[in-house]
Amino acid sequence: MPTKPTTTQTEDDALFREFEHTGDIGIELTAPTRAELFRRAAIALAALLVERASVAEIEQREIAVEADADLDLMHDLLGELLALFTVEGFIWRDASVEEADRSLRVTVRGEPFDPGRHEFRGEIKAVTYHQLMVENSLDGWRSRIIFDV
Amino acid sequence: MRDDPALTQVANVACLPGIVGYSLAMPDIHWGYGFPIGGVAAVDAHEGVISPGGVGYDINCGVRLARTNLHFNSVEPKIDRLADALFNKIPAGVGSWGAIPGLSIGQLKDVVRDGAKWALRNGYATERDLEHTEEGGRLPGADPDRISERAYQRGSKQLGTLGSGNHFLEVGRVDEIYDSKLADALGLELDQVTIMIHSGSRGLGHQTCDDHLKVILGAMARYGISLPDRQLAAVPISSAEGQAYLAAMAAAANFAWCNRQVMMHLAEQAFLEALSITPKELNFELVYDVCHNIAKFEEHTVDGHKRLVCVHRKGATRAFGPGHAALPEALRPVGQPVLIPGDMGRYSFVLVGLETAMRETFGSSCHGAGRLMSRTKAKREVGGRDLRAELKALGVTVRAHTRAGIAEEMPHAYKDVAEVVEVMEAARVTRRVARLKPFAVIKG
Repeated sequence: MPTKPTTTQTEDDALFREFEHTGDIGIELTAPTRAELFRRAAIALAALLVERASVAEIEQREIAVEADADLDLMHDLLGELLALFTVEGFIWRDASVEEADRSLRVTVRGEPFDPGRHEFRGEIKAVTYHQLMVENSLDGWRSRIIFDV
Repeated sequence: MRDDPALTQVANVACLPGIVGYSLAMPDIHWGYGFPIGGVAAVDAHEGVISPGGVGYDINCGVRLARTNLHFNSVEPKIDRLADALFNKIPAGVGSWGAIPGLSIGQLKDVVRDGAKWALRNGYATERDLEHTEEGGRLPGADPDRISERAYQRGSKQLGTLGSGNHFLEVGRVDEIYDSKLADALGLELDQVTIMIHSGSRGLGHQTCDDHLKVILGAMARYGISLPDRQLAAVPISSAEGQAYLAAMAAAANFAWCNRQVMMHLAEQAFLEALSITPKELNFELVYDVCHNIAKFEEHTVDGHKRLVCVHRKGATRAFGPGHAALPEALRPVGQPVLIPGDMGRYSFVLVGLETAMRETFGSSCHGAGRLMSRTKAKREVGGRDLRAELKALGVTVRAHTRAGIAEEMPHAYKDVAEVVEVMEAARVTRRVARLKPFAVIKG
């Protein structure tokens, strides 16, 4: 089932938390469901790249990834989204996720990046595998991601 | 420091198959991904492994230093004009076109094959520039076909762009000379205006690391390699995957050299325009260009025997001592210049490599001050403070493409680089030549 987009910029803090990493940027996410975890990760990446409140939901793009483990799904999804920004210049405000065991179909809604209107927060070079974590516990789903900046 | 994750990373690196001697940490060490930043590991060239994580995403991130004939007092009244000219001339790369817009994939293949030589052919370099660049600005063995289409797409508009994060262009003046003979040999004198550029292989390099890391992660089990951190993923140098990565790494490294060379050319143009002077009056000359994220095949003496090793330097600078054949003739009596940027509020250093480096650190030194504070903490500490005004009061004019670019890079987010280079000097790995004080800084 696709997750419903309900997030606004002011809710970014509730979606993810930056943790102390000396060299790079690390984030931690929690979510009640697996699909929502991936959705929040997609939004977190957009929020690290630009001031998300300035992005209008005008167009949409679809990303599909397949992998045997959730860890690789997370890495590959964020890698594909990073390429969407760096190659196509597309930035998104929200996302919805359709999940299967070994695949994800993610739709992001946003518009072409415009440096005049969208405040760029800084370059993200890559999604690293260092201490990458995706797990399901009694409290829900959690993930930890370190980006090279 | 004892609880710092960087130390665990140094220990993890010691697990790499085929490692020769110690897993080394330079005094600017801090927590990276896979390798620590400030890590050096040499592996046997035949029996060892190659690890893209030991090079990093920003393949051939590096620093170059150029000198001029100008003295600080002649530039001081025009600092704002100069900073504006540099800021306008050198794009950061996001949402802006590079200095050389829209290169086709065919043209990019020439760039990654030829490195700084491409810049020479296209009027952005002189023969002398290439002589004063590590490896002559071109690593052999680059195979343009090992770079993915996506990597080319990410790099297509980025030749001649700075990037953000800790990348910068810094105009400074020589404010202290430690060894006048060495300074003379490098053409440095008190109050002389210098330009330092810190940048790398941009999106092309980042994507290349990512692409090959994925392949290598998938191949490791086939070679019976298991490591404590996935980011350390490695395969035998002799394997097909290892050879493919090395050919791609060389290609991305060449892009980086070409990138820094083009930016240096743009900086020269900005100086000429802002100060309305002739090229002869400016006399813009490259002192040296070093890379600090790379894996290189080098011959080192280990336990009394010469041995070919692959030296991974992740946030570490080559620091060959005097007489080394890899140095251009003019620098051979002096030793290799080692360029150590500090933070934008304090100072940077020019060092030279010593013979001890060849014996103790596989000819390697530190690469910078080393971060002390996370970016998150730095932003929190800055809060509502006007860092730009504070730096102006310290005599540093800053122009930045992003607001976060200044806060995250606040001076106290870094160790005092003077202490870092003193450690290297006490260990007789490098010798201090000169200190540079920044007065204009361009940030991505």
